Amino acid sequence: MATYLEFIQQNEERDGVRFSWNVWPSSRLEATRMVVPLACLLTPLKERPDLPPVQYEPVLCSRTTCRAILNPLCQVDYRAKLWACNFCFQRNQFPPVYTCISEVNQPAELMPQFSTIEYVIQRGAQYPLIFLYVVDTCLEEDDLQALKESLQMSLSLLPPDALVGLITFGRMVQVHELSCERISKSYVFRGTKDLTAKQIQDMLGLTKPAMPMQQARPGQPQEQPLVSSRFLQPVHKIDMNLTDLLGELQRDPWPVTQGKRPLRSTGVALSIAVGLLEGTFPNTGARIMLFTGGPPTQGPGMVVGDELKVPIRSWHDIEKDNARFMKKATKHYEMLANRTATNGHCIDIYACALDQTGLLEMKCCANLTGGHMVMGDSFNTSLFKQTFQKIFSKDFNGDFRMAFGATLEVKELGVGGTSQWKICGLDPTSTLGIYFEVVSQHNAPVPQGGRGAIQYVTRYQHSSTQRRIRVTTIARNWADAQSQLRHIEAAFDQEAAAVLMARLGVFRAESEEGPDVLRWLDRQLIRLCQKFGQYNKEDPTSFRLSDSFSLYPQFMFHLRRSPFLQVFNNSPDESSYYRHHFARQDLTQSLIMIQPILYSYSFHGPPEPVLLDSSSILADRILLMDTFFQIVIYLGETIVQWRKAGYQDMPEYENFRHLLQAPLDDAQEILQARFPMPRYINTEHGGSQARFLLSKVNPSQTHNNLYAWGQETGAPILTDDVSLQVFVDHLKKLAVSSAC
Amino acid sequence: VTRCVAGLAEVEMAELYVKPGNKERGWNDPPQFSYGLQTLAGGPKRTPLTKRVAAPQDGSPRVPTSQTSPGIPPVGPPPPLSKGSRPPPVGSCPASGVEPINFPVIESETLLEDVLKPLEEALEDCRGHTKKQVCDDISRRLALLREQWAGGKLSVPVRKRMALLVRELSSHQWDAADDIHRSLMVDHVTEVSQWMVGVKRLIAEKRNLSSEEEADEEKSTATVEENQMAPGVQEAP
Repeated sequence: MATYLEFIQQNEERDGVRFSWNVWPSSRLEATRMVVPLACLLTPLKERPDLPPVQYEPVLCSRTTCRAILNPLCQVDYRAKLWACNFCFQRNQFPPVYTCISEVNQPAELMPQFSTIEYVIQRGAQYPLIFLYVVDTCLEEDDLQALKESLQMSLSLLPPDALVGLITFGRMVQVHELSCERISKSYVFRGTKDLTAKQIQDMLGLTKPAMPMQQARPGQPQEQPLVSSRFLQPVHKIDMNLTDLLGELQRDPWPVTQGKRPLRSTGVALSIAVGLLEGTFPNTGARIMLFTGGPPTQGPGMVVGDELKVPIRSWHDIEKDNARFMKKATKHYEMLANRTATNGHCIDIYACALDQTGLLEMKCCANLTGGHMVMGDSFNTSLFKQTFQKIFSKDFNGDFRMAFGATLEVKELGVGGTSQWKICGLDPTSTLGIYFEVVSQHNAPVPQGGRGAIQYVTRYQHSSTQRRIRVTTIARNWADAQSQLRHIEAAFDQEAAAVLMARLGVFRAESEEGPDVLRWLDRQLIRLCQKFGQYNKEDPTSFRLSDSFSLYPQFMFHLRRSPFLQVFNNSPDESSYYRHHFARQDLTQSLIMIQPILYSYSFHGPPEPVLLDSSSILADRILLMDTFFQIVIYLGETIVQWRKAGYQDMPEYENFRHLLQAPLDDAQEILQARFPMPRYINTEHGGSQARFLLSKVNPSQTHNNLYAWGQETGAPILTDDVSLQVFVDHLKKLAVSSAC
Repeated sequence: VTRCVAGLAEVEMAELYVKPGNKERGWNDPPQFSYGLQTLAGGPKRTPLTKRVAAPQDGSPRVPTSQTSPGIPPVGPPPPLSKGSRPPPVGSCPASGVEPINFPVIESETLLEDVLKPLEEALEDCRGHTKKQVCDDISRRLALLREQWAGGKLSVPVRKRMALLVRELSSHQWDAADDIHRSLMVDHVTEVSQWMVGVKRLIAEKRNLSSEEEADEEKSTATVEENQMAPGVQEAP
């Protein structure tokens, strides 16, 4: 590998891992002096079309306090058929099945290219996937119709043996008994009173779990276990009746008078859904899918009252402690989320409304269980319909991209014990941030072999219902920070570091005041520059950062302005939505969220990335901006004039037609691939929607300093925001100052 | 990239389209991609747009390569297409038009009976083997399909795709028929949702029936072979 960039990229492609530091400081004290913690972004189920799973179970270290899995870092004695665990140094006998292995006949899990490997567990019963739809009926007529159609469509996308159930709610909550009889029956609950799990299970007549009666015999083809309940039936059996049932759903019949909101019992509806699954299918993969068109207005978990003249809480209200229902509602949903996660289930929230729906209070349901959060204006939009369809998209093997009931174990060298997390809902892009603490004492010798190792073990239920284990084992060199700082510096991954610090910042922002978080972020940035910058004391103009740090200040600058840390431009629901996606996306997408991508299209060459700066807005360019949540296409002034003149229709100006088309094609490719579907803004110079672009670019030219730089190109931005230049100048001054 | 099979080309290509989003309900609603486009595996991927430019370390904003003064009229025409000029890379996505591609109806209209008759026959085949209630349910929906078709309520793409579905069903191509039913549910749910689930079930029942028949055939072939070993087997007169 020629450069660290290549090393970083290859490792990400193979193992789904990005470390902030790829050479590790060998003592705890040094690690804290590095400012950016030793941490990694892990995508446990990264899509690997080139990695077929192996059809056997992993070999484990025999030491009961270790149980690490055989991996390429282990020393092997092929003659004696022994292997040494690289984590605890225990010598282990290979199982009998491995008698034929040799240097030239290695099992896959010992080969370096299989640092990431997936095992399929053959034994044990396989349970079908379960989908429980929880549907708000307090919607506008055309919204409800669109939602009904989407749900009917989804029955064609679900696997035939998946179980499906339906709960509808408005003022009351209705649990529908699914049967092939013509008469449909349902159990009705008041929306005002919460019930315990036991009460719900008793009322629904669920006396014991409906788990399969037979275990599959190993080696035999899986028989379909006789699993179902009156409320959760297999799609292949119930699809016609459920299609009709959905088709007949009506708007909530309770009249809503002028000046009032509909009475919506979301809290009880979710509670019943959780209790139903708890009582019938604990510990197997299930999704509760909540579809809601407005805020909960009655019962436990209500977020606002039914008087329209009392608006739903804003950030200002929350800051002034003026959000009456927030604490209690949040507690209700947290209780539900925790129970759901304990049961191994996940909760999705599909919230489509013009006003807020209570995502702030309900976010733990999606966040703690690994469920989705989708926010739209109406169910009758392409944004919702296509995002919903994408949930059921299939991978290269024809399997759903969703995984259930995952546990992640992280094992490190030398430290006794392992850390374990439960993630009930997972997909191939789900990415976790894992933060490490170096525990070696200062001046202790660098560990034997000079390399540290970490093993990530993810056990989960694959969408084909197989149980699988994905194992990733990585190693990195230790280095003494005092004598080898240059090595450590060269191995810095500024992109990973930016995302990992950002996640820390957003985490702090949930409990600390906004300005405190910004101050913390700034302080870390200054310290990092002081440690790794090259400069002469008290001379800001001498300050330089090496290549591996050159983008980092920019990332921090944009992070400070991002909706993740600047909440007052958004509603609490919007902030919750943005933060939800930021906390789970992989590195590339997370970076896009922090610092949107800007590409410029012109006659001067192929599309090129340009600075997210007002100086990039030029009359003869088309810009494409990707913020992850929005795709913006912006036509410069000259382009607009050319288009008005109709040059694109003239054959001798065909290249202009191509120029207009190129960003549309690129945008289309992003739109097709991304989940959730972004908003799409096609605008131009002078257009009202141009504000989406203008608010994101760094305002290097504002009405305050339009002539300060001595040039008049680019579009001025009307704002008093500090620009990147001012920010970086200030940063340099502080970094070189001996006072800091 | 299109799934072009001889004879199906036009119908297949017509289903790779992009429609604008719902501008009334969401002014920034993204465009809607047809099922065909959504399920296209891979295809030539353009270079992902993920690169960034570092801000210059000395702090002054980058001077752009072409300078044009703001407030421009009058401006000359764009650079014309010539040998020298470099056209920007062309989109490689198969369909980027905003309107659904309407293919002129050159062949004869899809006839109702061409579609309904095979479906009803398939249902009859299943009657001995499938529960009565299910058959009745399917039958009810086929009747609804017939009614809607005859009443001119179904659009041309739906009718065309149904003809294709029936063709696949008749050739025992269960997966293909299933995929077409799915594409219709995704792209035209409003038109088809009431009766399509019956067609879906019919495909599933026919598939089951056919695999049972195959299994029976294998058994009876073995039995016939056994019987033929015994001498003196006579055909019925």
